[in-house]
Amino acid sequence: MSAAPWDVALREVTGVTGVVGAAVISADDGLVIAESAMDELATGDVAALAAAVVMRARRCTDALGSDPPDSVHLVGETGAIVAMAGPPPLWLVAVAQRDAELGRIRLMLRDHAGVLR
Amino acid sequence: MREALSNDLGFLELGERLRQRGQLAAAATVCLNGLTRAPTVAAAHDLLGRIRADQGDDAAAITAWRAALECDPEHVGARKGLAFVAFRAHDLSAAERQLESAAALAPHDASVLAALDRIRALRVSTPEPAPALGAPGSDMLLFDLHGLRLAGGIDLAADADRADLVSAESAGLMKEALRASRLLELGALQYLVIEAPDARTALAMIEDDAALLVRRSGATPLGRLLALVARAVPAARTMLAQSS
Repeated sequence: MSAAPWDVALREVTGVTGVVGAAVISADDGLVIAESAMDELATGDVAALAAAVVMRARRCTDALGSDPPDSVHLVGETGAIVAMAGPPPLWLVAVAQRDAELGRIRLMLRDHAGVLR
Repeated sequence: MREALSNDLGFLELGERLRQRGQLAAAATVCLNGLTRAPTVAAAHDLLGRIRADQGDDAAAITAWRAALECDPEHVGARKGLAFVAFRAHDLSAAERQLESAAALAPHDASVLAALDRIRALRVSTPEPAPALGAPGSDMLLFDLHGLRLAGGIDLAADADRADLVSAESAGLMKEALRASRLLELGALQYLVIEAPDARTALAMIEDDAALLVRRSGATPLGRLLALVARAVPAARTMLAQSS
């Protein structure tokens, strides 16, 4: 049995230095579809909170008269979440430490998010 | 019917010919008369914008080009016109934004691309002014976390109601982002970026209860957007301090 496309995506994203976890989530209901993370990372919480931010970002771009978002980056002092839209309603989400290479993570998520099925 | 429409729009050619001859008052009369018959034709508002700009009435030109964009949000001429008046007002940043929007709509329009190159070259050789937070067309919004707009605007072509709506939605977004940062132990929220095909938007906290939104075209490099936010945050803090 071959691995699902998101298994490859999650493995590669979590292989980037500074990434502590990654998940494929449903933005509609905030549930985890697939995950790969360190034990201490509560991916269920990540999914729920990232989905809430994504939905709010969508309302914000609606108000701006822009296209729907295809990525959302939330950066704090010690960590960051980078979320990339896949086929609706899926989003590929990575949680990283603040000193991680966010540019590389962004590109990797973009490469993989489009092929999630 | 096509013939009737063509007859109705004959004023565009006449008005443009008069404008090019410098008979601006006559051109304006022809155009305004035509607009009474074709009020939803973007090209007519665009022509009026060019006439008003030639007359040196930039405020009226902006109004006309905004009307053109309301009729047709993808009207490249109106974007070029708005860029022109921004350039004339020495607001290179706004001119560049309008031209970037025009270039996104017409990527092969040589006149747009040449103008964009010229503006960018000027911006490189001209010291970057402090971000104009208070300007309605700055594409920067300062708002409180109750969702009320404090200053700024999002687009020359958009009205204050739109800016208020964006403030309300952005406040909700920032509250959600603050909650996620706290619960996931990401530390104090530094910034949030939303990428969409046509626009990139960055949001940053200014004080405990106020935040800043900066929007630029989808072609703007992320690093440049964040550098702009980094410069705008102190300016926003100063503005808040002065107003309190």
